Amino acid sequence: MQEFTVTLNGREVAAEPGMTILELARREGVHIPTICHEPHLAPAGGCPSISSCRVCIVEEERSGNLITSCGAFVTPGMVINTASQRVLERRRTIVELMLASHPDSCMVCLKGNRCQLRQVAADMGIGLVRFQRIPLMSTITDANPFIKRNLSKCILCAKCIRACQELVIEGAVDYYRRGFVARPATAGDTPLEESECTFCGTCVAMCPTGALMEAEPLYRGTAGTSVPTTCPFCGCGCTVRLKVKEGRVVRVIPNNDDPVTRGTLCVKGSYGFDFIQSRDRLTTPLIKVDDHFEAASWEEAFNVITAEFKRIKSRYGSNSLAVFGSSKCTNEENYLLQRFARCVLGTNNIDNGSRLYGTPGLTSCDPASGFFGATNSLTAMEKADVILVVGADPTVSAPLVGYTIKRAVRCMDAKLVLIDPRETRLSMFAETWLRPKVGTDLILLNGMAKAIIDEGLHDAEISEETIDFKAFAKSLSAYTAAFVEKATGVPYTEIVKAAREYATSGKAAIVYGHGITQHVNGTDAIKALTNLALLTGSRSKGTCIYPLQKENNAQGACDMGALPDFLPGYQQVSDLKSRRTFEDYWGIIPAAAGLTAFEMIKGAKAGTIKGMYIVGENPAASFPNSKFVSEALSSLNFLVVQDLFMTRTAKLSNVVLPAASFAEKEGTFTSFDGRVNWLTKAVQPPGQSIPDWDIVIKLAARMGHAMFYSSPREVREEIGKLVPLYKGIGYGSPEEPLDQVRAKGGFRSPLVYRKRPDRIPSFYLVHMTATPDRTNGEYPFLLLTGSNLYHFAGGTRTSRAPRLRKYSLDAFVDIGEADAEKLEVSEGDRLRIASSTSEIVATARISDTLPERVVFMPFALACNPVSQLLDIILDLERKTPIVKCVSVKIERIGSHGQAGSKQSN
Amino acid sequence: MDKPAASKVINMERIREIVMECGGHKWALIPVIQKIQNEFGYIPPEAIHVIAIGLKIFPSQVQGVISFYAQFYTKPRGRQVITVCRGTACHVRGGESLLEMLENGLGIKEGETTADMEYSLETVACIGVCALAPNVVIGKEVYGKMDTQKIEQLLKKGEA
Ligand code: SF4
Ligand code: SF4
Ligand code: SF4
Ligand code: FES
Ligand code: FES
Repeated sequence: MQEFTVTLNGREVAAEPGMTILELARREGVHIPTICHEPHLAPAGGCPSISSCRVCIVEEERSGNLITSCGAFVTPGMVINTASQRVLERRRTIVELMLASHPDSCMVCLKGNRCQLRQVAADMGIGLVRFQRIPLMSTITDANPFIKRNLSKCILCAKCIRACQELVIEGAVDYYRRGFVARPATAGDTPLEESECTFCGTCVAMCPTGALMEAEPLYRGTAGTSVPTTCPFCGCGCTVRLKVKEGRVVRVIPNNDDPVTRGTLCVKGSYGFDFIQSRDRLTTPLIKVDDHFEAASWEEAFNVITAEFKRIKSRYGSNSLAVFGSSKCTNEENYLLQRFARCVLGTNNIDNGSRLYGTPGLTSCDPASGFFGATNSLTAMEKADVILVVGADPTVSAPLVGYTIKRAVRCMDAKLVLIDPRETRLSMFAETWLRPKVGTDLILLNGMAKAIIDEGLHDAEISEETIDFKAFAKSLSAYTAAFVEKATGVPYTEIVKAAREYATSGKAAIVYGHGITQHVNGTDAIKALTNLALLTGSRSKGTCIYPLQKENNAQGACDMGALPDFLPGYQQVSDLKSRRTFEDYWGIIPAAAGLTAFEMIKGAKAGTIKGMYIVGENPAASFPNSKFVSEALSSLNFLVVQDLFMTRTAKLSNVVLPAASFAEKEGTFTSFDGRVNWLTKAVQPPGQSIPDWDIVIKLAARMGHAMFYSSPREVREEIGKLVPLYKGIGYGSPEEPLDQVRAKGGFRSPLVYRKRPDRIPSFYLVHMTATPDRTNGEYPFLLLTGSNLYHFAGGTRTSRAPRLRKYSLDAFVDIGEADAEKLEVSEGDRLRIASSTSEIVATARISDTLPERVVFMPFALACNPVSQLLDIILDLERKTPIVKCVSVKIERIGSHGQAGSKQSN
Repeated sequence: MDKPAASKVINMERIREIVMECGGHKWALIPVIQKIQNEFGYIPPEAIHVIAIGLKIFPSQVQGVISFYAQFYTKPRGRQVITVCRGTACHVRGGESLLEMLENGLGIKEGETTADMEYSLETVACIGVCALAPNVVIGKEVYGKMDTQKIEQLLKKGEA
């Protein structure tokens, strides 16, 4: 349809069909007050607003109607008046009526100047209300430390309901009852903590009044400045705004301008930032003298480190040194760190924390095929027609991805095929939910592939467009209905149903997580997924594959070459030409690939690694078999740890360097789907701590290798030049408008697309080789591990966020009903869980969906080092440990409330 | 929650069946709850989760719809439902004292059910036969021009 003209406040303006009056007015710079309207709640093609508050009314002069501008589309010839006498009077009445049932508590209301109702009323000069006041009652009391509801202040705008049902898709609240007593309520009108609410905070940020408020706030007033930056927890890369008052971060809200996150966050993003101001923060360099640490100056610390690293290097050679970089640090910092390892220490012994979860570059099929991460953006995932989720519970491990998948299902009618032995929040959204025996995903995926081929559902041109299809089809002959059904425990009809749904629904997306990467045969299962993608890929114009990343910058750390075998941008370190590119800038780079994280630890134990530099990682707590790791690290000649806190690993070190947190520095993080998001410095680092990039540059200079960068921006400019994936990233800063950045040839998120390379893709012939079930008479249970929504990784940071700590600290273990009955365990009992490496104690939770002989425990509870139970058994190809499951025995040691031996971090 | 003495164990299987019979689509919500109410006399709160799962919507949404319509009940109702009209016409002709009397006589308040599950007492805002005000509805029968004596008689007779 064509553009047309309408009259807006006496002026002729051009309008496009499908535009609301409000959108037109905003574009033309005409202000119309709104309360219930929220652009993020208007799905494409859906209803633009539910227009419940009616504050945005305007007059259409031809018809004389008063209409709500947020929900009405412009039509040709409209004559709109946004501020006629009639509009103003009516709008005033509307607001006064709202205020008539609103309590007089504005002075003490925590929403303060952020209250939209108060703003609108103040703009219209409404002071006293001329109607009889009938205040609403609010009786509900929430006990959680995140959200407080005072529904007497609710104006029934439904934003919270829609946020919960249309954005984060938890459905915790809806309208309850009608008329004057109507209000948003949970099912059963319970407190939020007894509902499906995940405390994502999205509704709190959207609520226009003080009805929904942050509980236990750090500061009650209005914050001074608002700094856009990026969440430091998971790999989703949500952008946030830090609210700063007097040098302290007092609140976090979603960055409403981000088209990807659309105003959502998860509980960690909303309430997990208080660790920044924790009193436990390291504030000065520390040097170990005998058995204790003594505060030192940077000068002294650098002197000790330089002397020790030089001594080890000359005595034992460069390869006796190793650097463990960080999937939490910025791209710039990882880039510097790997340069430090390669050119200052002279070794390729550099790795990063994502190794634990299956390093992105290597979990994404094989590097030779050119996949180094997700093959498309998160936005594209939402547009898929069918989503296959394997070995992941993104609702917990990557909440933003969880929201995206649920939105695709609920709002865009996508089909979800879920492969997970355990019931998760996604199960209820699944069209088909396959529950294979633990670790048999590979057989199941091959079985699905066979079903697709048998039914002729694969692409017709497949033989021309791929390599090895015939051999692949032939290799599947063993996957008969009977075999697959017996091996996986899934009825074959279900497998066929899933195969059909996957192959015939249109554009497909495959999402996988650590349930795949951390199992035996993990690498092969990933290849089996690639096969599935190839089978129907061209029909749906390219199936997108999304490996989920645990940590905020796991993707970036790998992209930046904090890997033993790759230079930045996945250029092989063994390749002379690749090395040359960088050598022109940095000097000599050793050619032999270095050690992975676990090889370094093993080397330390064996005495081949003498010195280590660990930046922002806590392997002594987060790696499997923590006892072994601690022993290995203690046997080093020299260990430097750079972190925010005195972690377990830091305690083992000789020198501790205090680093700045995400809020105290500048740089970029790359999300799992390749969005490069910016960090902006919001507050000063405490004490003498300084950003990691600064530490690395200073240390390098001490060691006689000058790196000429004066800021992360200069590092970024070099990255933009030398790393093809990040071409152009150096230009522009977060404050600069996007079009200006683009004009200079630069870009800002979303950025790094990892397209399939131009070569013809090939099928993999992969089969199950090892059995995942390592249970036996002595250890009859299979313990599955997984993420925890409220705590993150080793819990170093989240356990220092008081609200997260308060809400979920107790260690729990899920056990199936039948097993519980056999062991005479009831809900709340204390259980001792022992593996061949160690034992821990946890509280039992009975589950009616866990399969027999399978128990579940999440990582990341500060008081619950599940990792102790695990052993370091590596997947051969990716050198990622198998930490998804371990066989254990279980013993009941006490009943509810009776504390067993308490474990502490 | 305390269960009324006379309430039976809910046949959840039947509720599942009803949900499936109605096709398992989210637009079937109202027919499903109507059907459940017709069979069970009310919508047992335990049914809400089953309905939500079957129709792929959230329990809060099911509750929202049930609580919006006056025709749906979430508590078991008595064998006999007595509804007193509170519309304007009935009110001015003494509807309120009829209600009071019934409340006293049955020992329950408006919206409640007697412990023996015999009577439920409800109110309505005009049933459309104002000419006969004040009106009381028992079951499906409308009793017009009611007064306290007639009520007493009805209660005595055990008819109501
Ligand atoms: S915090 Fe999130 S999950 Fe909870 S009610 Fe609000 S939007 Fe829903
Ligand atoms: S609680 Fe807030 S967001 Fe929800 S309906 Fe009420 S005013 Fe709107
Ligand atoms: S989903 Fe991940 S990135 Fe987003 S707020 Fe939560 S932890 Fe942060
Ligand atoms: S903002 Fe338009 S009706 Fe509320
Ligand atoms: S007011 Fe009672 S029937 Fe109309």
